[in-house]
Amino acid sequence: MTRWGMVIDLDRCTACQACVVACQVENNIPLADRVDCEHGRGISWIRLAPFREGEHGTRPSLRLIPILCMHCERPPCVKVCPATATIIGEEGLVGQIYPRCIGCRYCTTACPYTVRRFNWKRPEWPEPMEQGLSPDVSVRPRGVVEKCSFCHHRLQRAKDKARFEDRPLQEGDYVPACVETCPAEAMFFGDLDDPRSTVARLAESPRAIRLLEELGTKPKVIYLSKGESGGDV
Amino acid sequence: METFELGADKRLFAPIETTRPRFWVFAGILLTIGLWGGFAWWTQLRRGLGVTGLNIPVFWGLYITNFVFFIGISHAGTLISAILRLAHAEWRRSITRAAEVITVLVLFFGMACVILDLGRPDRVLYVIRFGNFTSPLLWDVTSVACYLTASTIYLYLPLIPDIAILRDRMPSRRWLYRPLALGWSDSPRQQRILNRAIAVMAVIVIPIAVSVHTVVSWVFAMTVQPMWHSTIFGPYFVVGAIFSGIAAIIIAMAIIRKAYHLEDYLKPIHFNNLGLLLLVMSLLWFYFTFAEFLTTYYGGEPMHMVVFLSKTEGRFAPLFWAMVVFCLVIPFALLANNRTRTKVWGTVVASVAVEIGMWLERYLIVVPSLSSPRLTMTAPSYVPSWVEWSLFAAFVSMFILLYAVFTKFFPIISIWEIREGREHSVAEVTTRVESYLPEVTHE
Amino acid sequence: MTIGRREFIGLMAGAAAGTAVGFPAGRIFDSTLHSGDQFLYPPRGPEQFVLSVCRECSGGCGVRARRIGERVVKLDGNPLHPISGGRLCAKGQAALQVLYHPDRVRVPLRRAGARGSLASFRPSSWDAALNDIAARLQSLRDEQHPESLVLIRGDDRTLGTRIARRFVDAFGSPNDIAFNGGGEAEALALLVTQGVRATPAYDLRAADYVLSLGSEMLETPAAPVYTARAYGDFRQTYPGHRGKFVHVDPRLSITAASADEWIPIRPGSHAAFAFGLATAIVGEGLYDRAFVAERTIGFEDGADGDLRSLIEQYFPLEKAAEQTGVSVNVILRVARELAGAHNGLVLGPHKGPLIGGRLFDHLAAHILNALVGNIDQRGGVLIPEESPLDSWPAVERDSVAASGHRRPRLDGVDASSTIGNDLEQLAQALASGQPYRAEVLFVAGCDPIYASPARQRFASALERVPLVVSFATIPNDTSLYADWILPEPHYLEQWDLHTSPPSVAFPMVSVASPAVPKPLHDTRAMGDVFLTLARRIELQRALPWSDVPTLVRAEIDRLYQVRRGAIMGTDFDQAWVQMMERAGWWSPGYANADELWQRSLEAGGWWDPFYDHGDWSRVFRRKSGRFDFRPDVVRQFAAVSSSLDSSGSLALVLFEPLSVAGGTGAELPFLQAILDPGFDAQWETWGEIHPDTAAVLGIRDGSPIRVASGHEAIVVRARVTERIVQGAIAIPVGLGRLAGGRWAAGVGANPLRLLDRVREPVSLLPDFGSARVLVSEANATDRRAAGRIER
Repeated sequence: MTRWGMVIDLDRCTACQACVVACQVENNIPLADRVDCEHGRGISWIRLAPFREGEHGTRPSLRLIPILCMHCERPPCVKVCPATATIIGEEGLVGQIYPRCIGCRYCTTACPYTVRRFNWKRPEWPEPMEQGLSPDVSVRPRGVVEKCSFCHHRLQRAKDKARFEDRPLQEGDYVPACVETCPAEAMFFGDLDDPRSTVARLAESPRAIRLLEELGTKPKVIYLSKGESGGDV
Repeated sequence: METFELGADKRLFAPIETTRPRFWVFAGILLTIGLWGGFAWWTQLRRGLGVTGLNIPVFWGLYITNFVFFIGISHAGTLISAILRLAHAEWRRSITRAAEVITVLVLFFGMACVILDLGRPDRVLYVIRFGNFTSPLLWDVTSVACYLTASTIYLYLPLIPDIAILRDRMPSRRWLYRPLALGWSDSPRQQRILNRAIAVMAVIVIPIAVSVHTVVSWVFAMTVQPMWHSTIFGPYFVVGAIFSGIAAIIIAMAIIRKAYHLEDYLKPIHFNNLGLLLLVMSLLWFYFTFAEFLTTYYGGEPMHMVVFLSKTEGRFAPLFWAMVVFCLVIPFALLANNRTRTKVWGTVVASVAVEIGMWLERYLIVVPSLSSPRLTMTAPSYVPSWVEWSLFAAFVSMFILLYAVFTKFFPIISIWEIREGREHSVAEVTTRVESYLPEVTHE
Repeated sequence: MTIGRREFIGLMAGAAAGTAVGFPAGRIFDSTLHSGDQFLYPPRGPEQFVLSVCRECSGGCGVRARRIGERVVKLDGNPLHPISGGRLCAKGQAALQVLYHPDRVRVPLRRAGARGSLASFRPSSWDAALNDIAARLQSLRDEQHPESLVLIRGDDRTLGTRIARRFVDAFGSPNDIAFNGGGEAEALALLVTQGVRATPAYDLRAADYVLSLGSEMLETPAAPVYTARAYGDFRQTYPGHRGKFVHVDPRLSITAASADEWIPIRPGSHAAFAFGLATAIVGEGLYDRAFVAERTIGFEDGADGDLRSLIEQYFPLEKAAEQTGVSVNVILRVARELAGAHNGLVLGPHKGPLIGGRLFDHLAAHILNALVGNIDQRGGVLIPEESPLDSWPAVERDSVAASGHRRPRLDGVDASSTIGNDLEQLAQALASGQPYRAEVLFVAGCDPIYASPARQRFASALERVPLVVSFATIPNDTSLYADWILPEPHYLEQWDLHTSPPSVAFPMVSVASPAVPKPLHDTRAMGDVFLTLARRIELQRALPWSDVPTLVRAEIDRLYQVRRGAIMGTDFDQAWVQMMERAGWWSPGYANADELWQRSLEAGGWWDPFYDHGDWSRVFRRKSGRFDFRPDVVRQFAAVSSSLDSSGSLALVLFEPLSVAGGTGAELPFLQAILDPGFDAQWETWGEIHPDTAAVLGIRDGSPIRVASGHEAIVVRARVTERIVQGAIAIPVGLGRLAGGRWAAGVGANPLRLLDRVREPVSLLPDFGSARVLVSEANATDRRAAGRIER
């Protein structure tokens, strides 16, 4: 069975936010101007969240963690959608069905990682910016929820390519936009069920942790904590 | 077709038969507010939910607050009149109709609040077409639909005899009353069937009503968010609903009493008894709230404490402590005191305080947990916009308007229940009390 | 109940009425929901990948543009490119939206009203523009004062800039003035100690201890993606070897957040800290004795005035501790860690491309590197090799040109100057008309009115120049003061050739091809414009190419003559080439010039990854042939006393967030939304103040504050945080632009306006770090004034 997962090495991550913008460009994220952002409505599927450290002495510090949809194996969002507009697929991707979403935003409030976003207004691209939109990703109308899809459209392309070339899918064929662009090479992606894959190997690292693990969501984004060996994030 | 000798009960028909000019003024004002709300909604349809003050992460705000609030008030009528009926509380007779109308009307507005909140209201039927049975929102839809059906039936059944009276009294409106009266002739057989049906509905409606606000609470409790995921939410919400429902009845009663000169029917004793119930619910509400907060505080989990402190001493503190004052302090002061509770104004002031306080309580359940998500997000505070306030005001005014229109077509105090009380209940009660006591043997 | 005929008809009538109302009501509902939806048409056509080079910063990342039909829909790094390695930063990703930006200049614009406003410009044509400019240039040549032509250009080596510079040279003007802020001090330190004119490269990948003295190396280094890749390896690629990274600076930046340790110091005390470390290292004998003895001079030559005695005299540990605010213990510990590491690397302060550094700071850092012996070693400071295409044959100047070159440069810089350009002096010369008037001024690749501390003087100075021409893709602040705005194509629309970016050690040539079939608007590459002008005024001998694509091909043909290096490739290819070259072989993967051209287009270009460590005659070019500690220079700096100002003002600490660094980025909404993830700062300029300082000044977190220097004031949002030391206010540079399109204009404030004409003693570089400001809560008048950005 294939189970797509991601590993983020926090010791390599420099919080440069290349992943944030790459995702926005890849997935036709609507533009948010100053007023939208002042109201807290800018959309980014992945964000660098400041993380409160525990009681770590008196020296001030700043920890930034990339947070995106964890594609949980037990997703709280899928349970609560009244119109079955969010589903968990066979390969472990939690998908959003835009034409079915009624915009009740229950999934956004149920997600403990707060990774879901909502289209508060109609998306608009001043001419000629709409020419830069990717045809692989549907543009969402206003009133529907959206979130990271692990660049599911790239999976479909990769599968098509592999089928065309008459070979199985290999590591590196399917990589989300954020993982592809990370300049510090801090993000890894692959099949957690394939023991030879990088992510499967890194998931066993002593530095590997998951966020909010105690909630039982079984997230498939695994973080490697900063530093030599295990310890706090 | 018999004609009744109404005697003193003539007063109950006055609103239906005559309409004074000040009603039209009153209705005009309410309708204007309603139309303004319509404009607000049209703005929202055109421009999307961005016209509200909602943001990331506060995805729910006034609309969901109002949803819970209105559904809560709906526990007024049917629950109270059903419970009082089953408990053989005779003082209910003047109240039941007014209460039941509240329920039926406010349920519509409650459901409308959810539709307002949807990003795609044109797709609302997808919850039926593509329904997901693990979703508490779908349980909500089911439960509220059942409750609406049951309450409508429960309102309608006892209304039939009164409609029959009106059918006979007002030939000009026969087109309306005749079909609705279902050929009621007040025969003993019909009375037996009707009483049977009402008794059955009274029993059915109570679990449905309890389930309604329980599943509404489960919309929040079934997530894992701090200060939402609590086992106490089911009974807590039901208690809160009954609490705000009783307050709503008191206010409604006070208004119709004044407007239609029904002082003989709605006496201080009625307000007193409802006031006692309100007092009990206030203490019960306080018990649940205290248990909820003490448990959270004692556990001290960091992510929970952020929400907790934001309510008790942080940015929501003014609202929180206002809620405590409105829901506990003021009602207790007025209702525990015999001198104030036996006056109509005492219970009315307490009820108004309760409604404000309970609205704040709903707001404080929805917004603070969303404002402090587990994984920090800096976002501006949620401030409701003119659209949300306008729609709230419009809903309240349209509710009042529809209620008033109802009183223009149907008696707001159940005539036949009054008559039944006069004619049968006194004897019934005497017999019942005597059955509790040892037999009196005459020597 | 019976349903009679009347009831039935009534029911049917009701149903019909309901439908008659409901159906159109539903349609109106639907159309209300969808009114104003934008129609979007997907691109049609085959998918292609075109290789180019990003120009959003100086980093020179090779990009791979995904093109469908006629549109580019995504940019990613070119996996074979040695700089980007398939990766791309936030700005590079967003660059796609600059190509399709709604506020691009679409046709040549001619000014018809007052300077300083975009509304003054009217659309015109290339013919009109070229005629006007060519006529003016011709008259300058005819009247024999070609020196009145001035070119202010970015410090890049794109073909457009190089052609412009060659044009100016051939024309006969000495006024080829580079606008650069950030990197000059660093290069000057290298020049002073090693006699080399270059920006040093740092082998971060192989270092095991990095001491950053305020170098924001994970945000705004000269080559961000390249540095980030190296950083990732530095941390986690070598099992058992995890590099340690310490950041020493007044501010806890995003770079500092990644550090193992942040050591806060007082603003402006980086050099003091570095010399404190030097004192400790020398005092405890931890320096690399072999290297110092064999490869350096000036350390302990016995003569009074060597480094060792200077350190003893001027930089005792207690003084360093007092000046920096760091305890002696910490200085000792860091010194021991640095000296004890195998490959310790020290980086001098670098706050962004627009914020100039101080020579003293970089000299101190470089001296430390020499003391621990890691000059030209693995994991140390490397001296970039020249790219084979970096120089063109010298221009043959005719007599007119020769006479022009004999005149002094307007900014007063000559062969004996330490600094390479002097904007302040230039502004004065333009305003006064001394020693001679400027008649024609070209501006390209930079924004002096925004970014120069002399901006106010510049703005009024430009009014005195009869013809100002600005090349811009999106109008910038300086464009508003021009007479002509000539639309420059986006980099995805033109051919170009890039050599190595600054701070990269190996030579490289990247070929950029246009990713779109034809430019979106009526644009012409700057290189083509100057080639056309050259032909018009008979200078084509110096610039013999018909157009830029022809030049690119000619350059690749020239590259073929260089018998080393290879087509860009993977790590495996790199290892192969390095092995072969070390053994003296050359196996490039191409047999002739055509094949080199073809393979360059497919892979991205050419490079020579072999770095010859220890080629001392190349890296030490002072007379001694060694690294010179320059005690004479150090003494001059040490003699300058620094006073700790405690007059109630705060030290102004400037930095550039990576998304708007270099004065670009604010024109894109995605980049405005990611200014600082620590504060979630978006679309505004803020000022960071320590809680203790804020308490004294009565400043609350989030409130607008007025920040005033001697002559100017700006309004920013206060952020009360422990991410800055006491007695300072840190304000980001990059917003507060007058132009730049709908999303940039009028957003935020520009703290560069607060700087005055202060120069660092000894080096005479503009000093960006000495400003002191008064901070107070902003009142309504301040805020209203801030709403209209003042010029």
